[in-house]
Amino acid sequence: MVIPGELIIEGKYKLGEGVFREQGKIYSSVMGFVDEKKGYIRVIPLTGKYMPKVEDFVIGKITDVQFSHWEVDIDSAYSAILNASDYFRDIDIFQTALAKILAPGDLIFAVVREISPTKKVYITMADRGARILKGGRLLKVGPTKVPRVIGKNSSMISMIKKETKCDILVGQNGRIWLNGEAERINLAVKVIELVEREAHTAGLTERVKDMLVREVKV
Amino acid sequence: MKVGEPEKFIVKGKRLDGRKLDELREIKIEAGVLKRADGSAYVEWGGNKVMAACYGPREVHPRHLARSDKAILRCTYNMAPFSVNDRKRPGPDRRSREISKVTREALEPVVFTNLFPRTAIDVFIEVLQANAGTRCTGIAAASVALADAGIPMRDLVPACAAGKVGGEIVLDMFDVEDNFGEADLPVAIIPRKKEITLLQMDGNFTQEEFEKALKLAVEGCMKVYELQKEALRRKYGGA
Repeated sequence: MVIPGELIIEGKYKLGEGVFREQGKIYSSVMGFVDEKKGYIRVIPLTGKYMPKVEDFVIGKITDVQFSHWEVDIDSAYSAILNASDYFRDIDIFQTALAKILAPGDLIFAVVREISPTKKVYITMADRGARILKGGRLLKVGPTKVPRVIGKNSSMISMIKKETKCDILVGQNGRIWLNGEAERINLAVKVIELVEREAHTAGLTERVKDMLVREVKV
Repeated sequence: MKVGEPEKFIVKGKRLDGRKLDELREIKIEAGVLKRADGSAYVEWGGNKVMAACYGPREVHPRHLARSDKAILRCTYNMAPFSVNDRKRPGPDRRSREISKVTREALEPVVFTNLFPRTAIDVFIEVLQANAGTRCTGIAAASVALADAGIPMRDLVPACAAGKVGGEIVLDMFDVEDNFGEADLPVAIIPRKKEITLLQMDGNFTQEEFEKALKLAVEGCMKVYELQKEALRRKYGGA
């Protein structure tokens, strides 16, 4: 584990996130674990806000409706913009009141389409996975824990979905939406909280499996 | 002689609280103590008890403060009414505004503000109990809180004061020494580059004394730096 200002290595590397170069030496700028692959070096952060990346799925909450776009809170340093044209391909904004489609407070599962150089974030619903989220429950985990909740090839989340028979969507911004029977959602929430708490430990999948098997029977 | 002023500050090479001239008070640092803040730290430094919380990067309100090329760093230093012997009148005053400003200037050089244009990073420092040296305690706590919030930084910023009491240069004064001593010199540094980000002076030093005090304070900072790193490692259970 490294902490800000800690020397990682010297030499020729390409720099990813969480590192910086000073007088030929490479230092970490955040707390996390060093990851080096093919001359490309980065630090996988342990904490921090969600930073939008293109093609990430995020769960957003509509905060404002304008004439031609919605403003969406994606629990990041930046709020996102959903243009009407990113909702319907052939939308006529003169004929349609956008507030009737999505009103403030509505939840959506959308994809980050573009991030402008001034860090304006555009999201889109024009993706097969994107949808409006009705009902269900919203849970929040640290964005740095999301890869663990999803698991390798989404093994963890598939297992939780299968055992709890819940509909679960995980946004890269750390928001998780669950829908199903109340009892089962409670279980799924408990399991996901376990994953978040013990995200850094080994053999987590086994423990989650045990918990699921034990609790589902009861 | 004023009320409460001791006759002698140093007896047989020991100070009034039993420390040697170049000895720090006992320091305890804990990272990530607040659930609601993005990052936090609690520091007990002798009789000082200071909590620091950090939020962000997040949207700037009011909007006109935002910078299109970088994040703004905002620091707020505040003393609790019960932090001192006589009740401190709550709210910002001349002193706390000054400390907020110097704290921001002490931390700003290490934060990669250019990575988060149009956002704000907010740091709140709450002094729960004061016993001289709260601005140094606050800076040390704030820098751990920033790291705990995952905000990219070039280094941590430790801080420590040196001063002059009873004609001797001493490290890290406690309240009696601070109130009746001859000079006080709080210092914050960027350890790797040995750069100074905070340097204030209250009282009088000769040039030689100043240089000696500065050197002592920097050594104190390096000890604080080790404790900050240790606190972060302990929180995240890594080696």
